[in-house]
Amino acid sequence: MLSQVPPPTAAGPVTGTSPEYVRISMASAITLRVRSGRFSRDFAPGGINLLLSYDEGCLSDCGYCGLARARVASPEVRSFIRVEWPLVRTDELVERIVRFEPALTRICISMVTHGHAYRDTCDIARRISARARVPISVLVAPPALNRERLENLRSIGVDMIGIGLDAVTEELFADIRTNVPAGGLKWQRYWDAVTGAREVFGPWKVNVHIVVGLGETDEDLLALFVALRDRQISSYLFCFNPEPGTRMAARPKPSLRRWRRVQLARQLIETEGYGLKRFGFDRDRGLARVRAGRPAIETVVADAKAFMTNGCPGGKGEPGCTRPFGSYRPGEPFRDYPFAPQASDLEEIRQSLRLEGLLE
Amino acid sequence: MGALMGQPARARVAGFELALDRRYQPETHMWVLPSGPARARIGMDPLGIETSGTLAQLSFVPIGTELTAGSPFGQLEAAKFVGPLISPVSGAVLAVNDAVVRDPGLAERDPYGAGWMIEAGVTEAGVTQARRTDDSRGDVTGARAGLLADPAEISAWFAAKVADYRLKGVIAQ
Repeated sequence: MLSQVPPPTAAGPVTGTSPEYVRISMASAITLRVRSGRFSRDFAPGGINLLLSYDEGCLSDCGYCGLARARVASPEVRSFIRVEWPLVRTDELVERIVRFEPALTRICISMVTHGHAYRDTCDIARRISARARVPISVLVAPPALNRERLENLRSIGVDMIGIGLDAVTEELFADIRTNVPAGGLKWQRYWDAVTGAREVFGPWKVNVHIVVGLGETDEDLLALFVALRDRQISSYLFCFNPEPGTRMAARPKPSLRRWRRVQLARQLIETEGYGLKRFGFDRDRGLARVRAGRPAIETVVADAKAFMTNGCPGGKGEPGCTRPFGSYRPGEPFRDYPFAPQASDLEEIRQSLRLEGLLE
Repeated sequence: MGALMGQPARARVAGFELALDRRYQPETHMWVLPSGPARARIGMDPLGIETSGTLAQLSFVPIGTELTAGSPFGQLEAAKFVGPLISPVSGAVLAVNDAVVRDPGLAERDPYGAGWMIEAGVTEAGVTQARRTDDSRGDVTGARAGLLADPAEISAWFAAKVADYRLKGVIAQ
């Protein structure tokens, strides 16, 4: 998701543009042993997240995004909450993907808004698919897309498409992505990409990235989950985290309780078939009630998939994209778990949810 | 430290610089070096730093806190990891390194020098006696921590840890 991608810093090669270079997430860098490091909890991260790199950066200017053109922050501030994304030579990356292929579950290439993004994404995807069988997703930049290009991505070997809608209403989208200093992104263009991708890639092969906490209501969120589910399109949740130096730096992140309840609602809608009428909202359109028996809800909570990272699956249907600590610091409570939550995690989840206040 | 007289102060072991003028707690990678009368400086060796990942934040308990060997004196947060900093000795915290709090990169760039973390009130004798093989658990100055003191033993331990970490895939290759 472009909005949750941290900015590059000066570490590693200072410059290097795609397709010859690509940035990789720090978790991916550790997995591929580009960088030393480890994870707070013992699990096997198999998802590799890539980000196109250009001297000009991303040409969009979204109010919450670390890649925004108008963002003002010193390098130290930029790397404080989010971490560096190391820059690597694409050919070296491919060699490492081949070397560690048995441990890898999914590769995701994130475009940015740039004139060469589509061309370079195809180039990088081709280099990977020529050497490895790890499934490839692309998080597309809708301004650079049309149906022919989507079909071409599929022919290259890309099997899933993500669209970073991020803001869930047209008004909110306009406020933070369109009508901004160097904005211009179009709501309708994003939905055209969703529709085109659904037609080309098929059911449950398309996902829409949604950032919780940008100013939307819970009812807005749940209505979108239902609409996407009805089109057999997945909703992938990301928790807003204020980026220093962005226009939304002072906005607090959503409370853990709200976040957990939204995670639960998404699961109830997408996998349990709940409709909007199963939910009740307060006067601020916040989620206030779930019309269901406690045992049914407890079963979903105990299963815990609702609270795991939303991401494209691996080749065998296992969690593929895990992006550990993607929108929070490792010292903070997990917002989404990159592994199956353990008993102690479930205890935290239940405390955060406060189900007694949600069920009728 | 008398036991190290005649030994080179630094060595290169498995690609890492290893200071041989101090003692180490082998499980936590913390080093201890007497820094004055009845006080010792504490920090983390470069292997502990490296395998934590890119440091983001260091925090320490307040000056005056009474530490017990094996108890936390702070927290290390890296890009994808967070964990406690475990004191290798017992004693009161006499100073904390504000510079490394402001710039955790100091611990990466100069782990044996400017990247020190805290100073604790502990006698040199206490540190010296805190040997790994010493099982005198009543010693409040660090016996429980099991510190390595012999340069040859330190070098062997360090090389083995590097090999282990490489096997586990937590060191870049």
